[in-house]
Amino acid sequence: MTPEQSTHLSEEAFNDVLIGLGTPESDAHLAVCSTCSNHLRQFRIDIESFNETTLAWSEARPTASLRATRRSKVRPVMYSPLGWALAAVLLIAIGIPVRSHYLSSLGRASVQAPAPEDTQAQIAQDNDLLRSVDVALNENEESPISAYHLSETPHPRQRTRPELRKP
Amino acid sequence: MSTYSVATFDLGAVPGMEIESSETDKVRHISELDDIDALARKYRARIIRFVAYSTGDPDLAETIAQDTLLRAYNGKENFRGDCSISTWLTGIAINVLRNHQRTERYKFWKRVNSSAIDVNEMASFLPAQSSSPESQLLAREKVKQLAGVLETLSNNQRTIFLMKFSEEMEVADISEVLGMQVNTVRTHLHRALTAVRSQLGAKI
Repeated sequence: MTPEQSTHLSEEAFNDVLIGLGTPESDAHLAVCSTCSNHLRQFRIDIESFNETTLAWSEARPTASLRATRRSKVRPVMYSPLGWALAAVLLIAIGIPVRSHYLSSLGRASVQAPAPEDTQAQIAQDNDLLRSVDVALNENEESPISAYHLSETPHPRQRTRPELRKP
Repeated sequence: MSTYSVATFDLGAVPGMEIESSETDKVRHISELDDIDALARKYRARIIRFVAYSTGDPDLAETIAQDTLLRAYNGKENFRGDCSISTWLTGIAINVLRNHQRTERYKFWKRVNSSAIDVNEMASFLPAQSSSPESQLLAREKVKQLAGVLETLSNNQRTIFLMKFSEEMEVADISEVLGMQVNTVRTHLHRALTAVRSQLGAKI
């Protein structure tokens, strides 16, 4: 502040200058008051730093091509009826055979009689039958030893293993 | 940074500005609007910044930026060329955001999950300048401080502050876009500035 300056810009006048609504009086004051003009300059520097930093931050955010986005936004509107029609055709083409197959298999299943469940008595009866068959087979079956009149004990001179001849 | 709803305003179509511009400017603006990717390259980051710091939700900002650019491109015939494209886009972004915040889906996802700005991460984007490391550190702290102060402002104050000091819009344009009286805009700006300067230690 120069010696002839006894007061500074008021809060309101200072803000008006920042807003761009300064008066000739405030401009005249800033021309001679270094304190006020320094404050003004510093504030503008701070704002400029903020703007540069936030803009750089915004620019660093990932971008997507708006042309592609626009196309993708347009496509559903243009092609959605076609898409639905295609989906309906596919549903009919797949659904009808599947349904008819299901119904026919259901019909076949209803024609077949269910297998009766075995009771304990039936199982016992089956086991008796199997045992009697087993006994009858054992009685009728001729032993190969007796069929060829062979002795069950080995002959004393019979070698179990052939000996190697010396040359 | 917590998320907050942006100030809601009674907006119809974005009103035209009363700023006179030449025919050449108008032709240039309209040709800019003809290429959607070029439009996105030039303005997307600014819209994201504005919405992200108005709402505190960077994911929402990306959605709004995309919708804003698409809407601008699809409605480019409505651009009368009597304001800058940036101002026009900001107006559209406010409309899109307001409509979005009214939806039940937005309300649901805001309750369930909403992203927030990491101020430390954001401050690391401070462009390297030729100043000393101490000055860089100080500038980074100031940026973080300012982001913190913005959170404490009301929705109106924050939105208008960003429109004025980040989007560099004139008070008359802000008033027109928001459908708000010029004096009301000034009042919000004064309150926001008082709070910001007080927190930054920039008061005389």
